[in-house]
Amino acid sequence: MNRFLRWLGIAVLVFIAAPLVIVIPMSFSEARSLQFPPPGYWLGYYTAYFTDPNWLRPTWNSILIASATTVLTMALVVPATFALVRHRFRGKGIADLMMLMPLAVPHIVMAVGYYSYFGSFGIVHTHLGVILAHSCLSVPIAFLVLSANLKGFDRTLERAALSLGASPTKTFIHVTLPILRPGLIISALFAFVQSFDETVVAIFISGRGAETLPRKMFDSIRQEADPVIAVISTLLFLAVILGVTAPLLISRIRSRRTRIAAT
Amino acid sequence: MGVNIAKLTQRTDLWPWLLLTPLAVYMAIFFVVPLADVAIMSFTEPSPTLSNYERVLTGGLYLRTFLNTFVTAITVTLCCLFVGYPLAYLMASSKPRTAMLILLLVTMSFWTSFLVRTYAWMVLLGNNGPVVWLLQTIGMERPPQLLFTRFSSTLAMVHILAPYMIMNIYSVMRKIDPTLIRSAESLGARGFSLFRHVYLPLTAPGIANGSVLVFVICLGFYVTPVLLGSPREQMIAGLIGNQIDEFLAFGMGSAMAMVLLVVTLAILAIYHRRFGLDKLWG
Repeated sequence: MNRFLRWLGIAVLVFIAAPLVIVIPMSFSEARSLQFPPPGYWLGYYTAYFTDPNWLRPTWNSILIASATTVLTMALVVPATFALVRHRFRGKGIADLMMLMPLAVPHIVMAVGYYSYFGSFGIVHTHLGVILAHSCLSVPIAFLVLSANLKGFDRTLERAALSLGASPTKTFIHVTLPILRPGLIISALFAFVQSFDETVVAIFISGRGAETLPRKMFDSIRQEADPVIAVISTLLFLAVILGVTAPLLISRIRSRRTRIAAT
Repeated sequence: MGVNIAKLTQRTDLWPWLLLTPLAVYMAIFFVVPLADVAIMSFTEPSPTLSNYERVLTGGLYLRTFLNTFVTAITVTLCCLFVGYPLAYLMASSKPRTAMLILLLVTMSFWTSFLVRTYAWMVLLGNNGPVVWLLQTIGMERPPQLLFTRFSSTLAMVHILAPYMIMNIYSVMRKIDPTLIRSAESLGARGFSLFRHVYLPLTAPGIANGSVLVFVICLGFYVTPVLLGSPREQMIAGLIGNQIDEFLAFGMGSAMAMVLLVVTLAILAIYHRRFGLDKLWG
């Protein structure tokens, strides 16, 4: 079984990697439609992306919406996570479950709900509508990350600060928050990415007014498969590579530094 | 001191509720109410009857779509298992450095937008793409239409959802005590029998986790089947989308959405009773 599973594993590796890698050469292709291998290479579609307002506007919308979503999500989730992780109270089990519910409901169902509900307020096709919807969908992921961090928090540090005379507020600001910072940053990052990548709800409620990048990409792929999509895909993939490897590189540099400091 | 600590952690019973209130209010207004709106519309649009459900649960098109969705979700789950298990095994049995590199690749795939990966499969499977070219080179004169078929959307969904399966299985495999395997071997278990009676049962929790997650996500999958699948063999999410943005048939769309929601929640509820929902994404 050993060798068989291993070979199968290597084949799967190719299956996982190939689609990710192929968008890179495609983005430099001269072809107007999907064609691989490319007939020739140029940077024309990069210029097209960075100069075409039809692509830049959705990009900007997405950044704006994801940023606002992150702020709103964190403002709601941070206090709630403290309540749920550090306190025992009646109804906690249900509250815990409710935090995860947006993950359990298919996005298409929420899209139908938001389309009609926001329609009655007139905030369909607005930034506000998308931000409000995305904040809901980002709650579980931000909560999961933050609560995992908070559960591993060594509370003796807080007790030490308190026993040395710091007020609970001071302890929170000078001890709890700094220690929790990496967790907070990762949690916020996850909320941002969740909103930035969210497609289904955005397709139905972002409309022309607040068109997000995924919505624009979806429409474009559906209609004509504009070659600019390869450019955006490459840029998004590069962002992912950076995001995934950066923590590793940082920790490696740090550990090297401490090793040097130790010698 | 003791009082202070008690203050920070407990204060009164009101404190946790105070911290929880903003989120609770927000979720009530922007999560529960829109969902309730879907439920209400399924009964009241265009007129207050059960006719939407009657049509959804008896009409040929709708039943066929439900069936198709189920078959696709099962196929995708099995394929993810078939693909994910060997890779997780490869990771668990490699040197830490190699395992790390593979995990890095899987993580990258996981974080890459569904749309980007869907587009990539469009390139790979297109009529002028590398797969067709390969088929022609090995002698197939007229390669079959790959894109916009059930095959292409299933394949892309397997690729998109495989990381969920791989990570779940790997996290279980990594924790398996090697002495268990060795003692099984010393007791005479070899090859397939070792796998069947020792390794497979040990990894079962990871398989269960991964499968539930993949199956549930697949049931409600919209983007990939709509972009890559055959328009004649839609999945349920695509059909709901059609009802809303083409026909503005909110009643029918909502009734189908409710069916999807109930099935999804039922599966997750069963899972929750056995394992706890928080384990699924943790």
